[in-house]
Amino acid sequence: MDNQTSAVLVLADGRVFSGVAFGASLLSPEQALAALDGGDASSYLAYFGEVVFNTAMSGYPEVLTDPSYTGQIVAMTYPQIGNYGIDAVWSESGPEEGRTRLVKVAGLVVRELYEGPVHPGRISLDAYLRENGIPAITGIDTRALTLHLRKNGSQNAVICGAADGGEEALYQELSSRLSRFPAMEGRGLLGEVGTTTLVELAAPDASDAPDGRDSSDARDSREGASAHHPGPHLALYDCGAKANIVRELRALGCRLSILPSTATAQEIRDTGAEAVLLSNGPGDPAVLTHQVAQTRELLGEMPVLGICLGHQIIAEAVGGRTSKMKFGHHGVNHPVRDEITRRVFVTSQNHGFTVEEESLPPGMDVWFRNANDGSVEGLRDEARAIRTTQFHPESAPGPADSRWIFAAFLEAIRGYGGGAVAGPDEPTGDAKRPAGPPGSTRKGDR
Amino acid sequence: MPKRTDISSILLIGSGPIVIGQACEFDYSGNQAVKALKEEGYRVILVNPNPATVMTTPGTADAIYMDPLEVPYIEDIIRREQPDAVLATMGGQTALNLAMDLEAAGVFARYGVEVIGASIDSIKLAEDRGEFKKLVERLGLESPRSALVTSLAEALSAKAEYGLPLIIRPSYTLGGKGGSIAYTEEEAREAIEHALSESPVHTALIEESLIGWQEFELEVMRDAADNAVVVCSIENIDPMGVHTGDSITVAPVQTLSDREYQRMRTASIEILRGVGVDCGGSNVQFAYNPSDGRMIVIEMNPRVSRSSALASKATGFPIARASARLAVGYTLDEVINDITGKTVSSFEPALDYVAVKVPRFELEKFPAGYVSLGTQMKSVGESLALGRTFPEALNKAIRAAEYGFDGLEELTVPEDDGELRRIVAALHPRRIFAIYALLRRAVARDVAERGLSPTAPGAAADAEIEAIAAASGYDRWFLHNFARLALLEAEIAATGPAPPDASLLLRAKQAGLTDRRIGVLVGAQRAVIADAREAAGITAAYHFVDTCAGEFEAETPYFYSSWGETDEGTPVGGEGVLIVGSGPNRIGQGLEFDTCCTLSSMAYRRLGRKTVMVNSNPETVSTDFNVSDRLYIEPLTGEDVIAVMRKEQVSQVVVQLGGQTPLNMAEELEAAGAEIVGTTVASIQDAEDREKFSRLIHRLGLRQPENRMAGSADAVRSAAEEIGYPVLVRPSFVLGGRSMAIAYTPEELDAFLSEAPVLSPDRPILVDQFLEDAFEYDVDAVSDGINVYVGGLMQHIEAAGIHSGDSACVFPPFKSDRTLETEMVAATAAIARDIGVSGFLNIQFAVQAGRLYVLEVNPRASRTVPFLSKASGVDLVAAAVAVWSGQTLRDQGLVAPDGDGIGVGSCITGWAVKEAMFSFDRFTGHDPLLGPEMRSTGEAIGIGADFGEAFAKASTATGTHLPHEGRVFVAVNDHDKETILPVVQDLVGMGFSVAATRGTAAHLFDHGILAEVLLKVHEGRPNVVDHIRSGRIDMMINTPLGRYTRSDDGYLRVEALRHRIPYTTTTSAARAAVEAIRHVRRGEITARILP
Repeated sequence: MDNQTSAVLVLADGRVFSGVAFGASLLSPEQALAALDGGDASSYLAYFGEVVFNTAMSGYPEVLTDPSYTGQIVAMTYPQIGNYGIDAVWSESGPEEGRTRLVKVAGLVVRELYEGPVHPGRISLDAYLRENGIPAITGIDTRALTLHLRKNGSQNAVICGAADGGEEALYQELSSRLSRFPAMEGRGLLGEVGTTTLVELAAPDASDAPDGRDSSDARDSREGASAHHPGPHLALYDCGAKANIVRELRALGCRLSILPSTATAQEIRDTGAEAVLLSNGPGDPAVLTHQVAQTRELLGEMPVLGICLGHQIIAEAVGGRTSKMKFGHHGVNHPVRDEITRRVFVTSQNHGFTVEEESLPPGMDVWFRNANDGSVEGLRDEARAIRTTQFHPESAPGPADSRWIFAAFLEAIRGYGGGAVAGPDEPTGDAKRPAGPPGSTRKGDR
Repeated sequence: MPKRTDISSILLIGSGPIVIGQACEFDYSGNQAVKALKEEGYRVILVNPNPATVMTTPGTADAIYMDPLEVPYIEDIIRREQPDAVLATMGGQTALNLAMDLEAAGVFARYGVEVIGASIDSIKLAEDRGEFKKLVERLGLESPRSALVTSLAEALSAKAEYGLPLIIRPSYTLGGKGGSIAYTEEEAREAIEHALSESPVHTALIEESLIGWQEFELEVMRDAADNAVVVCSIENIDPMGVHTGDSITVAPVQTLSDREYQRMRTASIEILRGVGVDCGGSNVQFAYNPSDGRMIVIEMNPRVSRSSALASKATGFPIARASARLAVGYTLDEVINDITGKTVSSFEPALDYVAVKVPRFELEKFPAGYVSLGTQMKSVGESLALGRTFPEALNKAIRAAEYGFDGLEELTVPEDDGELRRIVAALHPRRIFAIYALLRRAVARDVAERGLSPTAPGAAADAEIEAIAAASGYDRWFLHNFARLALLEAEIAATGPAPPDASLLLRAKQAGLTDRRIGVLVGAQRAVIADAREAAGITAAYHFVDTCAGEFEAETPYFYSSWGETDEGTPVGGEGVLIVGSGPNRIGQGLEFDTCCTLSSMAYRRLGRKTVMVNSNPETVSTDFNVSDRLYIEPLTGEDVIAVMRKEQVSQVVVQLGGQTPLNMAEELEAAGAEIVGTTVASIQDAEDREKFSRLIHRLGLRQPENRMAGSADAVRSAAEEIGYPVLVRPSFVLGGRSMAIAYTPEELDAFLSEAPVLSPDRPILVDQFLEDAFEYDVDAVSDGINVYVGGLMQHIEAAGIHSGDSACVFPPFKSDRTLETEMVAATAAIARDIGVSGFLNIQFAVQAGRLYVLEVNPRASRTVPFLSKASGVDLVAAAVAVWSGQTLRDQGLVAPDGDGIGVGSCITGWAVKEAMFSFDRFTGHDPLLGPEMRSTGEAIGIGADFGEAFAKASTATGTHLPHEGRVFVAVNDHDKETILPVVQDLVGMGFSVAATRGTAAHLFDHGILAEVLLKVHEGRPNVVDHIRSGRIDMMINTPLGRYTRSDDGYLRVEALRHRIPYTTTTSAARAAVEAIRHVRRGEITARILP
């Protein structure tokens, strides 16, 4: 980044932030305007998108590669970004579990980019973004941007080169076209993410450590009961699943069939899986009629776990409604209360839509609730073995406090008469954490 | 869970006098806890013998005791108050240790008192290094390889296994006290012996060295329902090997990936769970080796700490306040974060700025102690700064530490690269400046080679970064940021002498550079830069500290500055008054001044005014989020404070309460349009001007010691001859008596001159007549210009010559002379009226042979104001604030409506003694001799029905247990041989046996006292030190010769300190000790509630 290029972030409501470009080379404002005019802007998965802010203070590599951010430009509220570089191969959108589409954010906005040396085995954030075609801008007042979005809501934006002249008129023109660019509300993006073909992953050997994980995870896996007793066979309905969901399930010894989001209920049944996990993913759940319909068929037939978009799809499938939030929850510090145990834990979140509680049918209980704003964070139907979380139990980035949900789901599968699975041994997946909210069986441990 | 209703009253234990490692952060924490518990409807009983605290201000708790933190006194309080519960997690290690002592003594069981916050078992588990290590291993985590030893032999076999260097830590001590790193065989042996003797249980941990590893600290909270949050993560810039209190630290962590960080976060919660902390905050420290991913658990503290105070200020999350609520049964999701008013306490703070803490060392005070840092904390205070980027926050925090650096500057001495590298490798407290010097030189080589245009450091800088990283263990991330700063500075320097253009100026300000620094770089006056900046429209903008990175609107106006960004918050306007705080704690300017600032804010708000607090000290109550209407964490420099004035559109500024720091900038503030509240800046300066002061004294018919000013060594010598020896010599413009000395002879004067700093006609040496065998008095008064209220007269227990801050003092005077007292009151009133004091006035008097001398007049709040306010029952700060708000002292009822316009306070507690608290034991080998330089770090109060009781309590509260019986060792100089006689006679009368050096023994023998003669060290063995070590000495009276006389008695005091034997270095203190011993021998233990 020896040669600094001026860049701008132009918002649909006319607000313009100036900064310095890094990452992929930018469109000029004229090119951006032409793309918006010509109507092919929707085919760009970079430069244009809904700008959202994320309050995580670390974890930018996970955020950048999270398929749920497809179609979104992410502004990190923490000002110093790039501090520890990035692992060139490790990613939240694959590919180590067999998926090939490495989908990523539409753009990155930071206050202060770090460009110095990083640990061996990592590359600089700037180099990573260049290699992966992600545009980015640094040196902007991300606090002002955040306050603006908090007040005016998430909205479309573009990162492009700064104009050489006639700035005001040009940027104004960009803004007005941006407001006509497809809004996130009503935008279906599943065609861009997830696997395109069925991927079969056998249950891992006892000696397998999940790829790309650090030693503590490897240790958990080795000590886990799963290493000795294979877990159930799960279908992962891949709407843009974060790779860590796959890693968590593999660490619990699961065999996985990963299906594209175009798959039908029958195709899911055909894998022979005992249960299905609906993954996270980008876009508006309300337009996902295919996935909602397939899910509806499976509910009650086999245990279902939905994460984030998967949670919203399940809510739609049972007749509930989702709606767009003003600026959503994007961060790793959100407190969520388990309405059964009343315990609260800190979760990783990334969603712009929410399930409307009053739209839920009887029998579908609110399992988790956001301790700050009371919004629905998870659902549960004991009779049909349905579990959902709006937050991300797989974290990455963020705290592992809700990781127990995976193990709890496996227990629910066993309870549902999943057949082939051996009864739970002690200890379960995590030697120190029983399969349930931590602490619920803990008192005797001391 | 709702709050507990089965308890209704809670005893909160404070942390006692301030020592290194346990400072005013516990006033802050305890104060928050008291407020929170009272809001919840509990009756709160507080015990803390530290009179300087805000928490002991009447009205804070329902019942306040200021008795020593010792089992018998606490038991008496429990007997009187019958509390349902005790909260010991707010008072630092002192309170935790006391809770364990009370448990061991069966007090809790006897009175049915429950320990809340952290159970006795969890305290024991966290504090017992061996048990804790087992727990860590049970959790599948790693501890340093170590062995718990109880003898030298065991320690040496562990050493054989781990090799050198070796870490040695005693069990159950404050802030790592007694701990050290040994690099050689010999050091190891000595350090182990020291650690074993420091540990109250004679146990120490011998540990493999993790020196150079990265060090991290997490502030964790857990509630009774097993919910847990990490409030703040802190990364130490100085890697393992430097105590975290002495390290420059940054929050949040900067150099860990999310996966690495989450591992640490999960581990920290598991540790709290394992230890069993289930209703409060704790901190957990880790070492991390990024090259192999080894993560080592260092320790955890099951209580609030210095780090939690820092974390609270850095994040806006009030840890102590929330902890107090958790202790009474609430869960995290039931406690609303008061900063946002919307989020619950289980919402982990998200920062959108960088917080940097810089420790403040007293290199001048304890030069020998600072050769290098180690595992034992040595800093006396700290500053915090927030900035949008790391360089900005670091530059602000360094200048906020107020030790003469305007930010990250290069060391100019030594010039030699090799010498700089030695400092870098040596854990020297100034090493960051040495590092920066080397990086600047490397950047200069790059610039010479390839010009200025690239924004990234070049090959020379990159190579230097690698070299420094290897030598210091600093992470490359920090070093790269330093190099970028150096490059920016080179760019700025290249524009000189013209100021940089607007865009470069903005970048400079965003990097945290002051106008002065930019001026230095380009070679222009600071005003030129300021003008250019103003002309370009570049002014500071302020952001909220909102705990949520902007996600929610903040309700608490708590701000930090940034540049070129959105400006938040609306000005408080003309009804506001800005209070300049006192900055980082230092010797001579500590908690007392912060308390004055806090009390003034409270007093103003009671009168309906809006207050704006500016301070940089994260440990204090004044920087608590709800003390003032607006809070600014900013460095206390003219530039930074003026910017806040403008932002808030306030003109009234209070500078009288924060010690020297605000006074130093008063003139600058006034020039920028501030209306200085109370006494004018000119009057304050007049009082500091020696000539004007002399004229004032003569005008009022008063007397001062003979004095001269001398600009050369010869002039000093002849001035001393004119005045007559002994003389008190010191450089002009000093704080806390720095570099003062008393010379009894021309030889001693020469010794002083050879060590004195710069001596020139501009910076002369002051030569004063030294009043030998005089008694000093301190007076604190408030004046409205006409009426004068004298809060009280305090008599120093040590004779003149001991710095007033180090002297014990008693209120009311214990050798009372009505005539003299009347004279002092009259003189105070006359001086106040003459210089037009509006607000505070502190005067030091001395009385020699019945004659009154005025030593010093300070038209500002002094360090005795909180003590005197409590002992006299009159809040002097509130009185001053009322004066400033237009109420005369007559209006306030402090001065009788008719009469001479003078009021005088009296002691409402019978007798009150203030005793100084020292941290000499932090500096092994440092001679704990008192003199005209202030050395104490804190103070304790003793309240009693008679002087003996008050003094005994004050003494006990500072950790000195006077003996009931035993052997007193006496070694006094010739000046003191006569005056010591009656003291020794009294001790003999009480059954003490006496030991003495040959000379003193001979003198005692001549007066009928038989003393055992002990050899001095050079006289052979067994000598005094052997006797001390074998426990044969129970008390020492040792008055030294002059500081510059070759005397060999320094080691005696060091030895006494090491073995915790009471010692006095003046005859008057010995006399007071005798009174106190009389009380101790009666065996009465009476806790006394503050009326």
